[in-house]
Amino acid sequence: MIATLDQLREAVRRVLDARQFLLEARRTDAIVKALAAAAQHWLPPSSPWRAQAVEQAPAVTGFSTEMVNEAIDRIFGAITAESLGVFLDRELGDRRALDEFHPHGPAQARAFGVPLIVHWLAGNVPAPGIHSILNGLLLRSGNVVRMSQHDTVFPRLFVESVREADPDLAMGVELLEWPHTDAALTQAAMAKADAVIAHGDDSTMAALRRAAPAGATFIGYGQKVSFAYLCREAMTVDQLPALAAAAAEDVSVYDQQGCLSPHVIYVEERGALSPRKFAAALAEAMGAFQARIPRGALTMEEAAAISTTRNGYEFRSASDRRIALWASDKPNEWLVVYEDDPSFAPSCLNRVVFVKPTDGGRRVLEAIQRHAARISTVGVAPISERTTEFAAQLARLGIHRVCPLGQMQRPPLWWFHDGRANLSPLVRWTELG
Amino acid sequence: MKTALQLQQRIVAFIGGARDDFDALALEVFAFQFERNAAYRAFCERKDRTPDRVAHWTEIPAVPASAFKQLPLTCFPPDDAVTEFRTSGTTQPCSGRHLFKTLDLYDAAITPNFNAHLFPDGAKMPLLSLVPDDPHSSLAYMIRKLGARCVERLETVEQPVCLLGTAFGFLKLFDDGISLRLPPGSRAMETGGFKGRTREIAKTELYEMFEKHLGIPPTHVVNEYGMTELSTQFYDETLYVGHQSDVKHSPAWARVRVIDPQTDEEAAPGVHGLLRIYDLANLWSVMCLQTEDLGVREDDGFVLFGRAPGAMPRGCSLNAEALLSA
Repeated sequence: MIATLDQLREAVRRVLDARQFLLEARRTDAIVKALAAAAQHWLPPSSPWRAQAVEQAPAVTGFSTEMVNEAIDRIFGAITAESLGVFLDRELGDRRALDEFHPHGPAQARAFGVPLIVHWLAGNVPAPGIHSILNGLLLRSGNVVRMSQHDTVFPRLFVESVREADPDLAMGVELLEWPHTDAALTQAAMAKADAVIAHGDDSTMAALRRAAPAGATFIGYGQKVSFAYLCREAMTVDQLPALAAAAAEDVSVYDQQGCLSPHVIYVEERGALSPRKFAAALAEAMGAFQARIPRGALTMEEAAAISTTRNGYEFRSASDRRIALWASDKPNEWLVVYEDDPSFAPSCLNRVVFVKPTDGGRRVLEAIQRHAARISTVGVAPISERTTEFAAQLARLGIHRVCPLGQMQRPPLWWFHDGRANLSPLVRWTELG
Repeated sequence: MKTALQLQQRIVAFIGGARDDFDALALEVFAFQFERNAAYRAFCERKDRTPDRVAHWTEIPAVPASAFKQLPLTCFPPDDAVTEFRTSGTTQPCSGRHLFKTLDLYDAAITPNFNAHLFPDGAKMPLLSLVPDDPHSSLAYMIRKLGARCVERLETVEQPVCLLGTAFGFLKLFDDGISLRLPPGSRAMETGGFKGRTREIAKTELYEMFEKHLGIPPTHVVNEYGMTELSTQFYDETLYVGHQSDVKHSPAWARVRVIDPQTDEEAAPGVHGLLRIYDLANLWSVMCLQTEDLGVREDDGFVLFGRAPGAMPRGCSLNAEALLSA
């Protein structure tokens, strides 16, 4: 349902009213309890929220039903009273910071969520949108959410599950849809915004930045890709199956539609096992993951892109020993391309991944340098002194997250999303004393 | 070599209208290319499609267009090439090369097909080209061979003319505000689409501009589909059937199949897929080419949609094209 201008203005008014009359006086522990209860209601196999998502989301998002179930486990399993409390402690210093004045150096301070947050969701993967809404609710802000046509299901069901747990709290969110090309509606949504959280491509980001009020906080999450780096210490017979499974999971979850998905896995040479061996093991693990959680539906263009990539590398692999490929028996389920060429090769997405041998982190840094501003996460194995040094070098290039392989798609609530805190930019402080 | 030349003569004759059997010729060309081109042979062996196992032209392995960027795909020593056509690299950093041992087949394939689709009425008129000359452009070569005169700009003429140009070139002309009424019977061949260009418009919109700016109605504008990697061109049937149509037909010496990338099989009628082209005139390179262009089968012809864009990510992920162009 496309919103009208009047509906949009009404939605803004309602969330501001809800904030003022229903939410301002609420205490954090009650809100945490409600949000955790809503999230936990998604988890049982018999959950009606899960059932609705599994029924509705595949058609809208393209993900398989197994992937939708997996997304639910991942997203809602991580939202607990404990994790929300830790999240608040880490970002605001103390989970009671929104309830009362508490020590701030020799003085005291209290945090207030900004009155109105406009959320612009991308819809490629469900987690960022749910977290965005969750953050706004934790802060007792009013939230106007512009959903993407690619995912109206998860935001709506999440807010309904919050409503079931705490009807007043859910009054703080209004979900709407309008075309990104409709500047008048975008302007109307933004007019009173204190903060804008935007997910999307570069042109969307630029347009929203222009549309946001001059004084508003603008938080843009633009387009990113990720990669992984495996040190030679990890390349042992014992570790291979677990490493391959971890890599297959990072690649396959959300069919590479998200910015945390690795496109390339660099593998150090001179380990007990060769990078090529790793590629073969990864292929097997990709097959196992596909059997458990199938890839989603492809558009013709997506299928054509995979087919073109596969054909091109298949031709080259026949007479070029530096290239090898492993493809699913059925077309386009997954594809592993081994290529002895250090350049960063972005994938055509949907479970197509490159494995590239490298003689060390320095070479990898050279290869990714020109794309550094576009890189979100680097999965590494193992976490060691060497990889800590590597992380420091990545940080110098402006890359904000280095994590263990297998955890790339599981950032904690309090991760520094694209290098920034999540809640603190959305509060204003009052000091006392 | 004698056999190869005999094969070439047979294909030239076929192009010239002699009766022959496409399937038999295709299998002979395949056996020849399998023997002469090591990279292609390795690829066929990998796919387990060797001449002794291929019984019909549809089973001949297709070479991906991107392979032309990797190595010279020839059935002769590359140093013996008389001509080299290059693809215009759009987003890809390197361009593809198509080497020719001889242009006999290429030349033979140009005119009959062009005339059949631009002059089915037998009309005679000057050909005016808006395509800049370029020794490595197959399009520029074709236009030279047709005997077109290159013009920098268009002026009022008394007699009908046939204009040849790229879609983007024509669009630029229209954007610059040209306003002519070319004599009735005038026609135009446009080609090339808008790959990598800053401005793209729909075909119908472009064709309306032909009428508005030049007085050439959409019934007299023909889209040409050609590729550096091929030796044969394909044209809309518009002038042939007498009304605007997006359907293209293969000449006798070529075939086009639509391959569904979801199944790697021939697409069902009405299902979009990637065009796979079999071109006997490509005797000295590779006959069977897997393009990156989407299309659909339509009766006994096909409709071209153009280059399949890289899979467009739906949100904050990024695809190859976007990353490389950033």
